Amino acid sequence: MWYTVLKATWKQCYLHTVRYWFNMLSGVITLYIIFLMLFMGTKAIGAGAFNLGETLEGLFTGYVVWMIVLMGFQDLAWGITNEAQTGTLEQLYLSPVGYKWIGVFMQSCNMLLNLVLMAVIVILMALMTGQSVHLDVVSLVPLFIAAYLQANGLGFALAGLALIYKRISAFFQVVQFAVIGLLVLPWNRFPWAKYLPFTMARHLLQQVMMNGVRLWQFPLSHIGILLLVTAVSLGLGLALFSLAETKARARGLLGQY
Amino acid sequence: MERILDRGAVRDNPAEEAFLIVEHLRKTFKDRKQVVEAVKDISFSVGKGEMIGLLGPNGAGKTTTIKCVLGLVKADSGRIEVGGVDCLRRPREAARYMAAVLEGARNTYWRLTVWENIVFFAGIHGISKERGKDYFEYLLEVLKLKEKRNVEVRNLSSGFKQKTALACALAKMTPLVFLDEPTLGLDVESSYELREALKNLQANEKRTIVVSSHDMRVIQDVCSRVVIVSRGRVVVDRSIPELIGLFRSRSYKVVLTVNGASGGWSVDDIRRKFESLFPLSSSKATKDTLELSVTLRQPAEVYELVDFLKTTGASIETITQEEVDLERAFLEIVRRENGGCGTQS
Ligand SMILES: Nc1ncnc2c1ncn2[C@@H]1O[C@H](COP(=O)(O)OP(=O)(O)OP(=O)(O)O)[C@@H](O)[C@H]1O
Ligand SMILES: [Mg+2]
Repeated sequence: MWYTVLKATWKQCYLHTVRYWFNMLSGVITLYIIFLMLFMGTKAIGAGAFNLGETLEGLFTGYVVWMIVLMGFQDLAWGITNEAQTGTLEQLYLSPVGYKWIGVFMQSCNMLLNLVLMAVIVILMALMTGQSVHLDVVSLVPLFIAAYLQANGLGFALAGLALIYKRISAFFQVVQFAVIGLLVLPWNRFPWAKYLPFTMARHLLQQVMMNGVRLWQFPLSHIGILLLVTAVSLGLGLALFSLAETKARARGLLGQY
Repeated sequence: MERILDRGAVRDNPAEEAFLIVEHLRKTFKDRKQVVEAVKDISFSVGKGEMIGLLGPNGAGKTTTIKCVLGLVKADSGRIEVGGVDCLRRPREAARYMAAVLEGARNTYWRLTVWENIVFFAGIHGISKERGKDYFEYLLEVLKLKEKRNVEVRNLSSGFKQKTALACALAKMTPLVFLDEPTLGLDVESSYELREALKNLQANEKRTIVVSSHDMRVIQDVCSRVVIVSRGRVVVDRSIPELIGLFRSRSYKVVLTVNGASGGWSVDDIRRKFESLFPLSSSKATKDTLELSVTLRQPAEVYELVDFLKTTGASIETITQEEVDLERAFLEIVRRENGGCGTQS
């Protein structure tokens, strides 16, 4: 039973990726072009600044993390919202394994796909900008997963809200820019910022990609914070979603009413 | 009247082995703006292998009832049992027994092909492709979907889309299937095909099926029994032949000759008096005849009808017992429920 459900879900995820490849590609290309413009722009304006190298590195990693976050929360939040609108969500809820597991299977497939996609993008970004990047797969993949799961937490929370307040999906776009705010908070002025989602992941990713630090060389406290923030983000997101789900069942909102 | 509308919903011959039991179901939707009592008190049961129609005017509570059974909407109170499993206490387990085509929703993924949809939805119900393959092929055959097998659903006409949704629900091989408005928006031809397919499947597989529809031809064609709900309550629970029989012996059409010379009442007087005496009636005047149609509330009322005709002094051309189909019976019931003769509690 479980294996069959897993297989069906992954097949569907794969098929949808194939069918929607054009949308995906155009999304990625847009993001890529924006990145190039930001990068070139910063380089041109900041030509005289003595720490330009650092700024560019920051921009590079910041952008990478931002893309991971977008992938982690948009697929999820839009996906669920869309399925609620078209009515397939209710069909998923009819599965005897429960929607929760179908969601988990679907997300794991999405995560793998996005991981591959992200690898390609990072390589292209490095090639185009001439930025030297340490592609230490063993260290990067766990950090990618952590950032992605944190974003999934956000995605679940937003999807839950969208189940109940149908019009909130316009708000998703606002959130994606709010995340930039989080990513640029300087730690020396706001020491608590490292306990926020995405910030520690971003810091560690930067260390790996730019300075060649390996995952096990990080201070345990940093890894601890990363794990804690990931667990709390995902946990809170899921809790909010299941609260919303209960409410949606009571009000008959799993489908479009 | 009271006998037709057995309000307690006690059926004459309850199914010996009920597969679906709904008892005193209640559901009120509340949000900040309003409170809607969608289901006030609905009880019915469906026997194993039985195909019933769940009927009722818009907003009667049919979809809400179905969604409560499926666990998509949380019931306020009541008891629901499917295959001996308590749906409200053990929804996961009950879910194994049920599949549904839901009203007004897509039910399928538009970017996947017919076959891919079938495999997916059967898959999330635990039916692997290997196990279900032959049956899926059979479904394509019965539903005449074979040539569309590898077409993305978005490119299909609405009839084929609906048939795909039906195939996806049936592919789960569940003993109980809900079809909410399965023929909505289909043309005569597709609707007919779908009905034929349903009858076929029913005859071969003995599944328990609940069909909700506003199309009485569909229901009369495929179901053996109807449960009619109105304003959140069951008002009728009877086999279709029985229901039609009840109305047939009570529906009359009288044609009167009114050429003025009779010295009796005027056409207007007759019509007015007739309609006030018999609430479930209608009349139609032509140049020199007057057609009166009436459904009597009790068989004995036929004497009142005759007495009335006598007092009008008009001459009777014909009296016929009218042909009644499910649609007519349904309309009569709904009219009564809407205050036709004040039995609303
Ligand atoms: N999610 C919801 N929130 C609030 N009210 C609802 C909700 N779903 C249904 N209702 C209301 O509950 C009542 C019953 O609706 P339901 O959809 O069950 O009727 P129905 O018998 O299926 O009607 P139809 O023939 O139009 O499909 C209606 O008044 C409807 O407006
Ligand atoms: Mg309905």
